[in-house]
Amino acid sequence: MFYKLFETLDRRFGTQTAKAHCDVPCGIYDPITAQIAALTVVRMIDLMTDLESKPERGLAYTNSMSRYIAVKEEHAEKAKHDVRVIWGDYLKAQHLEKYPNAHALVHKIMGLGSKSRQSVDRDAAVQLVEALNEFAQIFWETKSVATKRAKAPYAPALELVYPAL
Amino acid sequence: MLRRIKVSGHSLSPDFEEGDFVVTVKIPLFLRFLKRGDIVVFTQPLYGTLIKRVEWVDTAREQVFVVGSHAHSVDSRQFGPVPGRSLIGKVIWHIRSPRNHAV
Repeated sequence: MFYKLFETLDRRFGTQTAKAHCDVPCGIYDPITAQIAALTVVRMIDLMTDLESKPERGLAYTNSMSRYIAVKEEHAEKAKHDVRVIWGDYLKAQHLEKYPNAHALVHKIMGLGSKSRQSVDRDAAVQLVEALNEFAQIFWETKSVATKRAKAPYAPALELVYPAL
Repeated sequence: MLRRIKVSGHSLSPDFEEGDFVVTVKIPLFLRFLKRGDIVVFTQPLYGTLIKRVEWVDTAREQVFVVGSHAHSVDSRQFGPVPGRSLIGKVIWHIRSPRNHAV
């Protein structure tokens, strides 16, 4: 009975709407994609170094080397992109108040990502992985999710920060 | 002050569904009367007018932390506590849509 009354009032005079808003699927954020991309960069540098150490040269060598370089480029950029999305879309003022170094950290990740694209500097790529671990640590803390450090179960088997679920 | 408001979205489902109506009230010293579990309607700069459940009230800072019922709800976990001045009112009457709530 009351519903019909309210419906009539709504039709006659209109009603302010309050959204019980959900954010599917864009509310899904996880730094693991950037962390895996950075691991891939290290892996590509290892594969390039290994290939370069062998005497064979020719079309097969060029093909493999080109593919490693292309994947390194792509994943260094992916790491940067995925961090920018979390930084821009997820991190809010109250997070940044609590983690004032987040801006500097994201800037550092951008720099290390670029260096990983431009060079075959393995140290820079490993630093990129570690900076992303630091970023993941902050991200999970903002969600009150405990974390653990564990070696990735695949080459290059560097340590990553994972949510301890 | 009483307000008549219509619900859209599903973040408070199954308690509040799309098409339900609510009546809210806001009185002086409003925050003192709010408690965990109350349903409030408020304005948020990015998302407009929202309806959420009160998780906790900070009377000293005059703000409330609000949540939805689902993991994907956009609420204080994303946009932080809601200032008291942004609250439109507390829900005091829930008129369920017969389309959503079988009797």
